[in-house]
Amino acid sequence: MIEELKDAAHRALTDAGVGASEDKTWPLLVELGWLLVALPEDLGGIEQGLPGACAIYGELGRSVAAAPYLPAMLAMEAVTQSGIEDRDSWIERLSGGEYVAAPLARCSVRVKGGALSGAASAVQAADTAEHLLVFSDEIVAMAPLKTKGVEIVPRITWDETRRLFDVRLDGAALDGGVVLAEGDAARALSRRLTVHRDFALAAESVGAANAMFEMTVEYLKTRKQYGRPLAMFQALKHRCADLKMQISAAEALLQDSLDKLDTEDALTMGRMAKQLAAATYFTVAEEAVQLHGGIAVTKEHACHLYLKRALLNQHLGEGVDRYELDIAASVLGA
Amino acid sequence: MQTNGSADSEALSALRGEVRAWLKENMPTGWREAMTGVEQEAFVALQRDWFGKLVGAGYATPHWPAGWPGGGRSLAEQKVIYEEVARADAPRLIMYFVALYHAACTLIECGSQEQKDKYLPGILKGEVWCQGFSEPNAGSDLASLRTRAELKGDRYVINGQKIWSTMAQYADRCLLLARSGPSDPPQGGLVYLLADMRAKGVTVRPIHQITGDDEFCEVFFDDVEVPVEDRIGEDGAGWAVAQTTLASERGLTLVELSLRMRYALPRFRDVMQAQGRLDDPILRRDLGALTAKVHAACAVADRYLLKRIAGDEQVGDASIVKLCYSRTLRDFVSLGQRMAGLEGQYDVAFMRGATQETGHWALDFMNSYNWTIAGGSDEVQRNILSERMLGMPREPKAWRL
Ligand SMILES: Cc1cc2nc3c(=O)[nH]c(=O)nc-3n(C[C@H](O)[C@H](O)[C@H](O)COP(=O)(O)OP(=O)(O)OC[C@H]3O[C@@H](n4cnc5c(N)ncnc54)[C@H](O)[C@@H]3O)c2cc1C
Repeated sequence: MIEELKDAAHRALTDAGVGASEDKTWPLLVELGWLLVALPEDLGGIEQGLPGACAIYGELGRSVAAAPYLPAMLAMEAVTQSGIEDRDSWIERLSGGEYVAAPLARCSVRVKGGALSGAASAVQAADTAEHLLVFSDEIVAMAPLKTKGVEIVPRITWDETRRLFDVRLDGAALDGGVVLAEGDAARALSRRLTVHRDFALAAESVGAANAMFEMTVEYLKTRKQYGRPLAMFQALKHRCADLKMQISAAEALLQDSLDKLDTEDALTMGRMAKQLAAATYFTVAEEAVQLHGGIAVTKEHACHLYLKRALLNQHLGEGVDRYELDIAASVLGA
Repeated sequence: MQTNGSADSEALSALRGEVRAWLKENMPTGWREAMTGVEQEAFVALQRDWFGKLVGAGYATPHWPAGWPGGGRSLAEQKVIYEEVARADAPRLIMYFVALYHAACTLIECGSQEQKDKYLPGILKGEVWCQGFSEPNAGSDLASLRTRAELKGDRYVINGQKIWSTMAQYADRCLLLARSGPSDPPQGGLVYLLADMRAKGVTVRPIHQITGDDEFCEVFFDDVEVPVEDRIGEDGAGWAVAQTTLASERGLTLVELSLRMRYALPRFRDVMQAQGRLDDPILRRDLGALTAKVHAACAVADRYLLKRIAGDEQVGDASIVKLCYSRTLRDFVSLGQRMAGLEGQYDVAFMRGATQETGHWALDFMNSYNWTIAGGSDEVQRNILSERMLGMPREPKAWRL
């Protein structure tokens, strides 16, 4: 089932082209029902869980598509896991294409007297959403964006395939929004969303790394210098072999962790998967640009789209270095 | 954390429980301390004793066909046994590895019935075998080997030198790859023989390693006679038989070794604590990155074996596993020796049969090269990966020395 899903996504996104716009890819993924992959069958989904969603994240990464699938999926998961009364109608709205934005990096939001204050960063396509999903140990909620006390600041990003915004909340009223969880329930749900986010970023990074790597090997096979294909030079072969091994390792860790999600410490596994995948993608991107030569630093070539996404992905989630420290804490016991 | 997630079937988890319980009861406790600062003989005694116990329980030969002690186990079951051995940190059967895997699998797959009857029971009784493939001038390029095997009547007469032959000083028998005909193509003209290490004309000289160990040897053959009935396969088909030997452990070793590395992660806590650097963010960051890599190396080895079980291994897959393990191991020992600081430089007594994660970091650092050099070096794996898996063209072969 997951293989079929992946193939279908691959075909659709190949048709859409590399770095395809939000306008093109968002309607596509709504129409193809990708927002429903993880949803249980009795809620109208196809019940493929996080592994199913990761198959799609991988393909979106492969084509560096612009659609804000990850935030939308976080909102879907948050709603599904919540106990709210109008859950089913919300699921219907979301799966019908109503977009709820969510932060892909730090989210420090607090509740004060029924209003929200704080900041959410790397909020994708915030200008197209009515609501913002905020999640912390204190609260998980869909906060209205078009209300007093909310400031949406566009942040022009090097990765043009992701339109990011800072959202600042200053006593923003929750009226018109939905509180999904509070207290202990918020803590648990927030963790769950963090795990989802980390695995998603890992899957996307592995997909993009694979695509960029394949592109590079193909290029080396066709580009001739010194009367032979560049791919014949051992100095370059060995670099490609190392990259292949590193991508395989990140991919194996991701898949293996997804297989074992129910039995082991999901938070740590998500962190490891994200850290290794993002670091590997970054290495692949660095090498791929060098191995393409001059063409790689021009806008005509797709290399830069993958490079910029690689740079960004490192910093999403908890951010570079923070992951390493958190993983170390799990080994050191403090 | 568990070794294994939801993947175990009921039968496998029963086996896992059984092996775990047996190991608890029978494993030599405190073997690491007992093997530190002792002579080789103590190590040999431990190996013999541990081997005997494992054979008795059927855990030494799960990969042999049904009918042999513990034999006829599926690859999935063998994997469980290996995982539990790693988990318990039991000694590795270094001295018997060639006998149990290389020799036995070669005999089982390529040997005649007479040869199996003659040699397999001896292996179970504790006969030690060594592998005589590499030569001073035939390392990575094994096919260029020059040890001569001349057929004279009903015997081959062997002349030449082998090197890096692990445990040859204790070996009763040798898997010998020698040249009996022309090397055109280079892999042609080879013959695969089972040589008696006690025969006249065999000289074994242990090699002193940088760690203080002498785990491998040079072996000299001077007019050593090997009867024709101890040849495996046809004369000239030695290369193909040797490939069977090299493929014999089928990825199990790296499942075990990568797990050992993972179980040894707490050693970093020990060394950081000893150095008073538990809170050092530089070390913590590097440890975090390494931890993800170690888990990934386990996942790579694990999934490779699952692929083999499912029968869809692809060319180059084995090279990814080997390269991933060796590179991760190098990172592992490098970080450890860095953490150990000056303290790690003071020579401690050598631990025999120790694997690569003793927590004596300078020793582990040196030992880790075993895995980047032997069994197809990292560079050779990179060649295989890039040429056979990625389809990058080979260099022209016109150049001659
Ligand atoms: C611990 C240990 C145990 C061993 N046990 C045994 C044993 O029991 N029996 C046995 O027969 N042998 C054994 N070996 C030998 C082992 O198989 C060889 O060491 C190995 O094949 C490498 O050969 P070499 O040492 O001659 O190095 P060389 O082949 O001379 O290589 C030297 C360097 O050149 C690189 N290199 C070689 N060819 C290429 C190429 N085409 N492209 C790029 N780089 C290249 C290598 O990677 C290496 O870095 C053992 C080795 C070790 C370290």
